[in-house]
Amino acid sequence: MSNKALSRFHQPISVPGRRLLHHVALEFVQKKVTGGGHRSVNQELPLVPFIDFLLCIVLFLLASFSATGELPVDKNVKLPSAQNVMDMVEAPMVAITGTQILVDGIPAGSTRAIEEANRLQRVDELFNVLKSKRELWKQINPGKPFAGVCVLQVDKRVTALVVKSVFQTAAFAGYPQVSFMTKRLGKPGGGAG
Amino acid sequence: MAGIDVGGGHGGRRSVNQELPLVPFIDFLLCLVMFLLVTAVWSQMARLNADAQVPGPPNEQPVEEQKKEKTLHVEMRGDRKFDLVWKEGTTVVNTIEVPKKQVPFGEGEYTYPDLAKKVEDEWKQNGSHRAATDKKFDQAVLHTDNTTPFADIVAVIDAIYTPKRDFKAGNQQEPVPAFNVTFSVN
Repeated sequence: MSNKALSRFHQPISVPGRRLLHHVALEFVQKKVTGGGHRSVNQELPLVPFIDFLLCIVLFLLASFSATGELPVDKNVKLPSAQNVMDMVEAPMVAITGTQILVDGIPAGSTRAIEEANRLQRVDELFNVLKSKRELWKQINPGKPFAGVCVLQVDKRVTALVVKSVFQTAAFAGYPQVSFMTKRLGKPGGGAG
Repeated sequence: MAGIDVGGGHGGRRSVNQELPLVPFIDFLLCLVMFLLVTAVWSQMARLNADAQVPGPPNEQPVEEQKKEKTLHVEMRGDRKFDLVWKEGTTVVNTIEVPKKQVPFGEGEYTYPDLAKKVEDEWKQNGSHRAATDKKFDQAVLHTDNTTPFADIVAVIDAIYTPKRDFKAGNQQEPVPAFNVTFSVN
């Protein structure tokens, strides 16, 4: 037994040397598994730019977020598009589909009845609903001037006779400022109107 | 991942380097993005204004004598042309014919650029209310037959609203359509 070998038993605590993968006999395999002086294959993912990007998206979406949601459009109404439009206002919504007239989702007349009569007429049911809405608004807001604005959501296939009848009825019920809801169409030059 | 390295940790002290848990933060941000994307409102609705020109409630103040103003009547009943008629009361001042040339842009929708250009030229020549402080607007009356589809009416109203003027409301001044449209009952 050599002195070197015995010295291990005399010094029970010794500084450990490199032992990792030391038992691998083949030198080139040992080099391979220990990295062998090559660049490490571990990579740090650049997460900070990714978080910056996500924060930008969040801020953009929050800025364009609408808490009130989309204006309710009746599913049977296909709106036309227009360029020279104004922003929407808060007002009673009168939807005119191919078969019926609805005020804020409540039926208030028939489109067919107007077409069958084939003449411009006042739609009594619509008139009563709009009039009661106007009176309710006046009770809630005493002393304030009533704007008399209502918005018509008219299907693009509905005929002018129905549109004019509803227009006239709304005016008689105290809503002379009638707006037609449309989709906003971009200008040929680029920006939205 | 990301960490904060402030050095130290030597001499038997606890290391003060910290690893920030970024993965839950990224998860949270991704959830937020998904929620906002789902609830985003992409289609923008707008409106075309029209005035029924009906008398308002009775007013105790004496009514000023109103002078007869020029009104633009747009006749869209013909198949091949529009008639633009300037009237003062019942007196016809001028009549212009514009060919009915549709430019389609969508499913069953179209515009009338020739009509829009002519209406704009006419307003520049004959429009009465141009000042930003003027609260009145030039009046256009749309004549249509009962079977005209609404898409066609909107295309014509859109063309009539092409000329713009400034309008001052309070401290704000913005461009608005120069005409106010109403319908003819007959």
